[in-house]
Amino acid sequence: MNHTKTRIPSGVILSALLFCVLFPHILFSEDIRISASVDKNQLTLEDSIEYSVTVHDVRNPSKPKLAPLPDFQVRSIGTQSSTQIFNSDMRTSITHKYMLIPKNTGQFIIGSAILNLSGTVYKSNSITVTVKTPEPRKSNKNKNVYTETSISKMDPYVNEQLVYTFKLFRRLEARNLNLNRPYDESLFRKENMGKAKRYSKIINGISYDVEEISMALFPLKVGKAIIPPSMLELDLIFRTQGNRQGDPFARFFNDPFFGGTTQSVHKVLTTKQIDLNIRRLPEEGKPYKFKNLVGRFSISAELGKTSLELGDTTTLTVTVSGTGNILDVTLDSHDFQGGFKVYPDQPTFKQTIHGNQIGGEKTFKFALVPYSAGDKTIPPITLSYFDPEKSKYNTISTNRIPLKVKPGTKDDKLNLVQPKPESSQRNGSSVSILARDILPIHTQLKDFESMAFNNTDRVIYIIGIVTPILIYIFASGYIRYNHRIKDDISYSRRQQAHNIAKKKLNQLSSSDTEPKDFVRALSQIIREYIGNKLNLQGTAFTSIEVEKKLTENYFEQKKIIAVRKLLEKCESMQYTPVSISKNSQLIDESVDLLNELEKQV
Amino acid sequence: MTTQKQIILFTAIFICLFLPVTIEAQREDALVKIVQANEYYHEKDYQAAVKIFENLIEQDQTNGYLYYNLGNAYMRLGKIGHAILNYLRAKQLLPRNENLDANLRFAITQTVDQLYPPQMGFLYEFLFWIESISVSEHFRLLIIFNVIFWFVSIGFLYYRNSSWNILKNISMGILLLTFISTGIKYYLQAEHKTGVVLKNKVDIKSDRGIQNVTLFQLHEGAIISVNQEEANWVNVSLDKDKSGWIQKKSIGY
Repeated sequence: MNHTKTRIPSGVILSALLFCVLFPHILFSEDIRISASVDKNQLTLEDSIEYSVTVHDVRNPSKPKLAPLPDFQVRSIGTQSSTQIFNSDMRTSITHKYMLIPKNTGQFIIGSAILNLSGTVYKSNSITVTVKTPEPRKSNKNKNVYTETSISKMDPYVNEQLVYTFKLFRRLEARNLNLNRPYDESLFRKENMGKAKRYSKIINGISYDVEEISMALFPLKVGKAIIPPSMLELDLIFRTQGNRQGDPFARFFNDPFFGGTTQSVHKVLTTKQIDLNIRRLPEEGKPYKFKNLVGRFSISAELGKTSLELGDTTTLTVTVSGTGNILDVTLDSHDFQGGFKVYPDQPTFKQTIHGNQIGGEKTFKFALVPYSAGDKTIPPITLSYFDPEKSKYNTISTNRIPLKVKPGTKDDKLNLVQPKPESSQRNGSSVSILARDILPIHTQLKDFESMAFNNTDRVIYIIGIVTPILIYIFASGYIRYNHRIKDDISYSRRQQAHNIAKKKLNQLSSSDTEPKDFVRALSQIIREYIGNKLNLQGTAFTSIEVEKKLTENYFEQKKIIAVRKLLEKCESMQYTPVSISKNSQLIDESVDLLNELEKQV
Repeated sequence: MTTQKQIILFTAIFICLFLPVTIEAQREDALVKIVQANEYYHEKDYQAAVKIFENLIEQDQTNGYLYYNLGNAYMRLGKIGHAILNYLRAKQLLPRNENLDANLRFAITQTVDQLYPPQMGFLYEFLFWIESISVSEHFRLLIIFNVIFWFVSIGFLYYRNSSWNILKNISMGILLLTFISTGIKYYLQAEHKTGVVLKNKVDIKSDRGIQNVTLFQLHEGAIISVNQEEANWVNVSLDKDKSGWIQKKSIGY
């Protein structure tokens, strides 16, 4: 049979590879197209469009590029792919879905989406949509959902607290609520007023679920100011009754769990813009120390200790509470700095909601150290604010707080190293402590050796840790060996066999024994060695038995034969006279043989 | 033997012969300086005493009594922040020295904030001895209990009775406790840094940079925990609620 080798040209292989790589893209190249569609062409500012761009007959295409849509807010809501096979003809398509939320009214053209595939540009169809204004507010009474906003005052003073309230009225279930309440940070400072309130309200005989959320705004600039429209996005859930209207279980089976009896509609509800006129605070009656506080406030002060010794500290706590821009309250420590050294602490603030007004309590703490002894007074601390309800300025102040500073026994010039008397240290006996000072320096030179943790210490510590462990390992090995020798007879015989045999061979070589007795003793020593090694009882076994036992214990055949021959030689020599030189030769031969056997064991 | 090998050999012999002599000379020189600084202190020339003590510390002369004496000299100069800082350094090496404790307490009472060194809470309650034993003492104890444990283990292996077993278990328990205690002490000393405010009054900022909000103020001698160091700023805390950034030059640690 002849085998001929066929060489495949490398060009063919390369082409095949290229085909495999490009196949998915070029498979349907004749049918590639891109289309666009919308779920509706006419809508209001409260609605949204579902815009779908479908790429046909391309596997894994890149995302088509949408035309600029400045009049819409565009959000991707996912992709959908489908594959269909008709008579071995496979069709695939991928649909990219977007939600378009209109920003303005008018007629708009949604331009072509573009797909660039390996240099070829594919374009979708363009679509025209019309956006209208929603129906007038007066028709709210029959709406399923609508929103309202309100402001507590249309012409507030600068820094006066405004409450901006957003309300959602709905008759249907709503999901995925997303509220955006924009405001200009350069015109207002914002404070949140807690979580949304939920309640029911009947309007024109129709019951609505109302969700209400408020925020406090503090105008920062005088003049016209705008609060932009708030925008609420939500999905309204419509429940269809089906043909179970008379069915008492209809409510039960209308649950979404039992099938598609609900329909979700995405809505965008926009409120009206609010125009405000921010008024300047009147100049008339403005106090000298007025610091732009607007609202209603009260002030109180408390002193920690009203009687103390010179050099001791007492804490003055000043609390300002009320409604308005309380966060802006500041206090000067200059008011009471004359007779005291003042150490102000960081103020603390606790926010509270009073009705529909935001307020709180700001606490200032000052550590006071009197400069001199005597009867002192903490002067009133004043605070001026503008009351927007009465449209006038108010100045409030704390009461004067008397303070008694005892001279004590301390030196006025407080020197850290001078004696510092402390009456509190008196021990109750007739001896009183007059002064305190630091204890003297240390002068014993032997204590001034270096205490640094150096490399020598490290080495010593490592040795200290490792050495006992090593000693333990060696000791435990030795102890275990001794215990085994003592407890395990076969192990003991095995371990000591070589030493005993060598000892006996030495004794035999140095003794002046008759040749016959010599070979008998030699044979006995070798048998005893093998008996000890293999834990055999007695020594009365023949060379054949020795060979058998050694074979059973997997000794090398060469060594077994050598042992057998030596034993046979010893047996034969018992009946044949031998010379002394032959004895020493036998001893050497035996020693070598035992060494060889020992190596294998 | 080649010339190069001969040079190495002679150098090694020279180092072996003269290194101990050099070390001894340095030690004696340091002791002379300490005597001199102590004399300056007694003569009320505290500035000169501080200079010598600082100089010795810069030369790696680590000794608890040296820090203690330096702390005393700073106290006499009225530099309470530096005094407390050196007392705290001394306390790491001399944890049971009563004079040191008394002077540290006294120094703290002289500060505005009167802040005491931060406590480790539960850890120090459970391992109550940890504060009273220095790191090197911990290591020495570890070695002693290590030797005892392994030799008791050898005894148990040899005698194999219940008395030796009890002894072995007790010594193992003590060794484990010492090991944990040493590890914690070493970690705390290496990682948990305590700092002291050295300036008269410092602002603790909300972030790195003087333009940031001042969260609170501390005064000279205030003891704080040092958490993190970044460029010229250090993150410090008084407790879990009060922390912020302070300029590195304002504190010592």
